[in-house]
Amino acid sequence: MNNLKLSTREPEHRTVVDVSGVQVGKGFTVIAGPCSVESESQTVETARAVKASGADMMRGGAFKPRSSPYSFQGLGLKGLKILAKARSEIGLPIVTEVLDPRDVSWVAEFADVLQIGTRNMQNYSLLKEVGMVGKPVLLKRGMYSTLEEWLNCAEYILSEGNPNVILCERGIRTFEKYTRNTLDLSAVPAMRELTHLPIIIDPTHSTGRISLIGPMSLASVAAGADGLIIEVHNNPAEALCDADQALTPDLFEDMMRQLRPLQSFMERLPRLKTSHQAM
Amino acid sequence: MELKDIRRNIDKIDRELLVLLQERMGLALRSTKFKETISDTQREEELLAKAERLNLDLVERSFTRQLLRSIIEESKRLQKKEPLLVAFQGEHGAYGDVAARKLIPDGACIPCLEFIDVFRGVEEGHFDLGVVPVENSLEGAVTQVNDLLTTTDLKVIGEARIRVNHCLLATEVTDYRDIRMVYSHPQALAQCRGFLMRNHLEPRPYYDTAGAAKMLARENPRAAAAIASALCAELYDLEIIKEGIEDEPSNMTRFLLMARDPYGKRGEKTSIIFVTPHESGRLHAVLQLFAEAGINLTRIASMPLRSDPDNYCFFLDFEGDENDAAVKPVLEKMEGMTISLKRLGSYPANGTGC
Repeated sequence: MNNLKLSTREPEHRTVVDVSGVQVGKGFTVIAGPCSVESESQTVETARAVKASGADMMRGGAFKPRSSPYSFQGLGLKGLKILAKARSEIGLPIVTEVLDPRDVSWVAEFADVLQIGTRNMQNYSLLKEVGMVGKPVLLKRGMYSTLEEWLNCAEYILSEGNPNVILCERGIRTFEKYTRNTLDLSAVPAMRELTHLPIIIDPTHSTGRISLIGPMSLASVAAGADGLIIEVHNNPAEALCDADQALTPDLFEDMMRQLRPLQSFMERLPRLKTSHQAM
Repeated sequence: MELKDIRRNIDKIDRELLVLLQERMGLALRSTKFKETISDTQREEELLAKAERLNLDLVERSFTRQLLRSIIEESKRLQKKEPLLVAFQGEHGAYGDVAARKLIPDGACIPCLEFIDVFRGVEEGHFDLGVVPVENSLEGAVTQVNDLLTTTDLKVIGEARIRVNHCLLATEVTDYRDIRMVYSHPQALAQCRGFLMRNHLEPRPYYDTAGAAKMLARENPRAAAAIASALCAELYDLEIIKEGIEDEPSNMTRFLLMARDPYGKRGEKTSIIFVTPHESGRLHAVLQLFAEAGINLTRIASMPLRSDPDNYCFFLDFEGDENDAAVKPVLEKMEGMTISLKRLGSYPANGTGC
């Protein structure tokens, strides 16, 4: 990992990313919201519900990277305007994905955090572009990428002068078919050893199954992650994408009721001894 | 041309027809200030006959007559309502228009080319009221207007503080990613400098914010957008790409409502302009009167005198009516201490005028 100059510097130092007042890297940050922005009422209603359950930020896609060109591609600029409306009404900072280098400055005008999706993790021109914008970046792990490749991509953003990078583990491709991907939860303590950047977990895309999202969210807290990004839809049956993996506001609330006490419990525990020397 | 293109053009023409009708109604209302009666049968007949002589093969003569006749009837109905004519500087949708609509919701807002046209128009009775910007929170005093205030006989009868909410506007067919040039008034461009730089957009100065929006809608230049009010998006059928693009969100402009006669009731604020002799302590002595009477000042500004550049006139706004027991003796004492003292009037504070 000799080429990693900025992401591995000062292992004792921990980066805290300030997102319009929300400190990512301190405590446990929960980001929730629909896969894609479909309408103003859907977005605002979902934002209201997740805030009531204790979410710190909201997510919502205006530009969607879909496996098929015939699937819903997102509302684009109209979606960004709806997200801005939801922020002003509900007061949660906005995380949204950017796909095209030409859109970066425009998305930055509306969003609080720019998300680089798993398919674009190694889109180097896009990484350079978000590195030049003064907004925090949420960098998802490529579904076929090693930790080192992932850190190299963070390095692209850092080296352009943007220090505010949040890593997001979203599952990797394995031979297992029951789950959509395999959640590599060991990435959390591993990244703690390798980098000062905060790391959060996406339990939605890594499992692809509603029944597994809650347990994996709690496991993320126990593993020492800095937060979660999770899909919640006010009416999953009518969602235009990822309908079968979005939590309803009720399920989200139920999960949050267990998550926050677990978080306080974990914060009270002494740090786990992690090496032979320390024994 | 496909059906959707044809329909888009039809929509555009319909919109232009309505905008032109709006202008025509404005002119008809202005005509009431020059004539004794609303109806003028001879003029109407001339107008209809002239239109009929136009040889338009797709617009039949009987239809022309019928159409114009109904426009004339609507125009007369409007004139009978006698709405107050409120003049502002700029095109429809300018921030002056926004202020005029806030101050006189039922008035007919009439655009003027220059600030002096607003002042002269009201003075000569061509308009009932005028709305002019006096100061901006970022740019300071509007010198042309302050200069006109020193010479006018008009009275201030109200004020409105308008939050300047600049919007980036473009025609519906423009892809925001293609935008390269942005047209607007130089002051609006300056207030959005950060936004323009972040998005690599080239500022193009234009005479008026609303004028830039109107030009965009009419000419649809390639790769272009305008900075203007949200009202302009509505009036000229433009899409708001982004609202609130100014670098400083606390961007307010204060407008004054001007009339020939004073407010008439007790005002909450008073505006005056005065000149003191060029001797030490004279300005201080005047301000001391206000301090001793416990009167709160809301604006103090100075401007060089046109007639005597070495000397200054002072603009003072304060809380209270000029006939209040605390204020009246102060103004009387000021008469003896100043070279000139001009009372612009007392009026309700922010918002409710007339």
